[in-house]
Amino acid sequence: MAEEKLNFIIIDDSKLDCFIAEKIIRNTGKATDIRSFTAAQEALAYVTDNRVAEGTRTIVIVDIQMPVMNGFDFVEAFEKLPDESRKGYTLYMLSSSINENDLNRVQSYPSIRQFLNKPLTSNMLSTLLEMP
Amino acid sequence: MSKEDKIKVLYVDDEINNLHGFKATYRMDYNVFIANNTDEALNILREHPDMRVILSDQRMPDKTGVQFFEDVRKEFPSPVRMLITGYTDVESVIESINRGNIFRYIKKPWTDFDIKSAIDEGNKFYLSNTTLAIRNEELQKAYNELDKFAYSVTHDMRGPLLSILGAIDLARENENMDEIKEMLGMMDKSIIKLDNFIQSIHDYYNLNRGELQIVDVDFQKIVNDLKDIYGVGGLAGNVQFDVQINQSEPFRSDDMSLRIILNNLLSNAFKYQRRDEEHKKVSLSIEVNKGIATILVADNGIGIDEAHVNDIFNMFYRATTEEVGSGFGLYNVKDALNKLNGDIKVSSTLKEGSTFTVTIPTK
Repeated sequence: MAEEKLNFIIIDDSKLDCFIAEKIIRNTGKATDIRSFTAAQEALAYVTDNRVAEGTRTIVIVDIQMPVMNGFDFVEAFEKLPDESRKGYTLYMLSSSINENDLNRVQSYPSIRQFLNKPLTSNMLSTLLEMP
Repeated sequence: MSKEDKIKVLYVDDEINNLHGFKATYRMDYNVFIANNTDEALNILREHPDMRVILSDQRMPDKTGVQFFEDVRKEFPSPVRMLITGYTDVESVIESINRGNIFRYIKKPWTDFDIKSAIDEGNKFYLSNTTLAIRNEELQKAYNELDKFAYSVTHDMRGPLLSILGAIDLARENENMDEIKEMLGMMDKSIIKLDNFIQSIHDYYNLNRGELQIVDVDFQKIVNDLKDIYGVGGLAGNVQFDVQINQSEPFRSDDMSLRIILNNLLSNAFKYQRRDEEHKKVSLSIEVNKGIATILVADNGIGIDEAHVNDIFNMFYRATTEEVGSGFGLYNVKDALNKLNGDIKVSSTLKEGSTFTVTIPTK
């Protein structure tokens, strides 16, 4: 069986955080394509327009607190997309939030795989990539 | 003392003579309202919800005073309730007092001293209760802001720190000097962001905890200081900064609040520029006329989406992902203006620019 291809989408209003995530992901040597968005609405437009190809998985790492469209808004909009648009995308939420309401809220979205604490590290990423 | 300044007292009694006697005796001291049945009394209360004290006779044909107060309390909890009665009704009075429906009772036949001291005591009770209610409201508002604040602190203060931590971690394993320098540049921005946030908090607490210090304001002097920050060689870079001041009369206000307002508006105007605009411009005009200062801050920057224009003064609200903002600046502006009885209006077109118009009356 051919190895699954991996793409990444990073959504964070902080350019530095996008940069860090990109770097860490690139260092794994496993990513085919990495894209980052500082505005969630642009990421949503991209996800809406781009289906994930057969044999490919796209990991989306989204920050919670962002201006205009925050991480929760993004996930809600994502969950409203038709099944075939969502297929192949796996969502992770990444935040500096230690607010309990936020953490509980993350649980309530079926499409969020897991909550990750900032900053993203290579250890966290390898654990995440080992998940089926 | 005019009628409006006197405290409002309502007396309810089925005996017309008692009512007229009461009014004649106390109309100089209080703003007296009289009702000879409970329905009429309720109508008066609906028209005068600021009634301070209600005195009612116990024995009336339609209702007892105790029953009346029980009804009144539901609709008008604020006025202080006092029952006028003879000894024979003592049981019902005790019960009513114990149930909290009556502040005190006045024995029939009453003396002038009884009534006056009862009303004055009742008024004091009313005032301390309402002051307490206002304080509670303020406290609730402070708690709500604190909640918002604590929530935001995790993001706005921890956020930049965690970014820097992440970058340090990466840089440690990186041999490429150019990439390390690039990261240093971004770490620098994170630190500036955090510092801006801390300064906004400082502004916020100055505004909220400090008393206003009203002084004669010289706008030229304030603007000169701001020019040092934003003018040639300052933070503004290649943005044209036009200033016009027209102050020919004295203006009294709080210097620090004015600086917070001007500084935030200008810093936004300079910050939210369009990168591809060749002639970046910010203009400031201040005109003092007939005791009103009108301040215009205009830019030809990125503008504000119509959908967000009403939210920009909310705490921690940010209408754009471009540039670093704390979401605190315009909230502080609005807060400062509230304290100075001033007003702010925005007109903005996306990708064309924004104009903020501030008006502040002299103190």
